[in-house]
Amino acid sequence: MVEFLSYGFVQRGLLAGSLVAAACALLGVFLVLKRLSLIGDGMSHVCLTGVAVALLTSTSPVYMSIPVVAVASLGIMKLAKKFKIYGDAAIGIISAAGLSVGLLLTALAGGFNTDLLGYLFGSILTVTRGETILCALLLLIVAGGIFLFYRLLVATCFDESFACTRGVPVRIVDTGLVLVTSVAVVLSFKVVGIFLISALIIIPPVTALLISRTFKQVLWLAAGFGVLSVWIGIYISFIFNIPSGAAIILINLFFLFAGYLLSKGVPRG
Amino acid sequence: MPVVITAKNISFAYVRMPVLENISFTVEAGDYIGLIGPNGGGKTTLLKVLLGLEKGRGEIQLFGTALEKFTDWNKIGYLAQKSPVAQSRFPIAAEEVVLMGLPGRGARVGRNELKEVYAAMRQTRTRQYAGRIFNDLSIGQQQRVLLARALVSKPELLILDEPSTALDVESREMFFDLLAQLNTKYHTTILLITHDTGEVGKHISKFMYVDKKLVFFGTREEFCHSPAVAKQLGPFAQHTIDHLHNQHGHCPLGASCKECHHG
Ligand SMILES: Nc1ncnc2c1ncn2[C@@H]1O[C@H](COP(=O)(O)OP(=O)(O)OP(=O)(O)O)[C@@H](O)[C@H]1O
Ligand SMILES: [Mg+2]
Repeated sequence: MVEFLSYGFVQRGLLAGSLVAAACALLGVFLVLKRLSLIGDGMSHVCLTGVAVALLTSTSPVYMSIPVVAVASLGIMKLAKKFKIYGDAAIGIISAAGLSVGLLLTALAGGFNTDLLGYLFGSILTVTRGETILCALLLLIVAGGIFLFYRLLVATCFDESFACTRGVPVRIVDTGLVLVTSVAVVLSFKVVGIFLISALIIIPPVTALLISRTFKQVLWLAAGFGVLSVWIGIYISFIFNIPSGAAIILINLFFLFAGYLLSKGVPRG
Repeated sequence: MPVVITAKNISFAYVRMPVLENISFTVEAGDYIGLIGPNGGGKTTLLKVLLGLEKGRGEIQLFGTALEKFTDWNKIGYLAQKSPVAQSRFPIAAEEVVLMGLPGRGARVGRNELKEVYAAMRQTRTRQYAGRIFNDLSIGQQQRVLLARALVSKPELLILDEPSTALDVESREMFFDLLAQLNTKYHTTILLITHDTGEVGKHISKFMYVDKKLVFFGTREEFCHSPAVAKQLGPFAQHTIDHLHNQHGHCPLGASCKECHHG
């Protein structure tokens, strides 16, 4: 364990992974309760377009993907509003568009290369210093935003029309939430890979919702599960030489299962 | 009397189905208005349009300010007909639900805010559920918590959409007494949708009957004793009027009313 922690790139990977996992879990709590959690899935597919564009233009995949995914997330909001109840369909449409454009551009760029595989399945040990700082900034914005606008966020999840009659700008709150999520999604793809990002947004919040008795507990536990899964996951992947993304998500699934058992046995009240 | 709500020529349609047609009225400070009408008559929709939750045609002013520019939401307490979506798991305590009725935004809760929350919860006899998870409460208990949320900012205008449907007899009586007290003592303006015609008669000062159009808007006396109105309103209103008459002592004309079945 000590030896494992002594590598600089491992430390940076752990730090960036913890920061981004906490941010994803916190955002995920609100997205899950708003039934928007699949938006992470849609956005992660759009990442492929961003990555492909970056490979084509030899720019940084992370920095290139942020604007691409942010625009796509606004597109999902627009479509969802237009179709009203078909929010999930809107996500599916944008997700498919992101994947197909991404695959097309990848083919143009000369097919799948090792870089791309790294983004698909995660390559946490290649996280750069700049990206780590970005992760810290992201968590700061997420945690600060929740602290400052806690009641607005909870109110829009719990009872949107009442929130409207309190003068809460629900559309702005939702747009802000989705935009920050798009940044979180992009910063996550090196940690767990494009395929598994949405798990980082969905599973820790669901586990926390299962066993919490207050809303603040949900937030703390979700962030805690997210961070813990990154630590255990990376350690296991290092020991057994398996992909870190898969290990992280399997740990999350284990937490979920344990949480489910716990929620069956523990009376709330 | 200062005007609280002005509505001019409001019309509204859900996708091609007109629900409200050309409705105009004014609500003055201190009014206690009973909004009645048949199921599907558009009462709930009218309240939503007044609060800006649905966008209709026409002109609306709240406290003298155009709805689009209105920001003083603390002056209004609202209880919707539909409870918030009963998410299978939404671990939020009843007191946190009531707290939503106050203007604060952040995570910190002030001591005074908690005091106000508990005072409102005492008014609707829900103080003892403060720490319970909202979704674990019974429907009637939930409704009383939501009433506390509507009351907590001490609003000048209360807009209540069938607030008493799930209340037991005792709670219902206490609640309508509370409304009457707020109306007489603090001059709170109340706009109340109810099918509870028995309770309606006791304290309400004006009636508003909506069935797509504003069929009737006037005082209780006019409502009860205008045969022409009664005829126009059809069986539902006739039932309401009969109910008012039958309530011993609650008819505004008292014993002098020929239509009342005294004794
Ligand atoms: N979201 C909606 N989409 C489409 N139509 C709707 C919607 N909500 C209400 N309606 C329709 O609008 C009409 C008026 O409904 P509204 O809820 O305003 O009636 P109401 O007077 O409040 O009835 P109730 O006494 O049953 O509460 C009804 O015909 C209803 O079917
Ligand atoms: Mg209604």
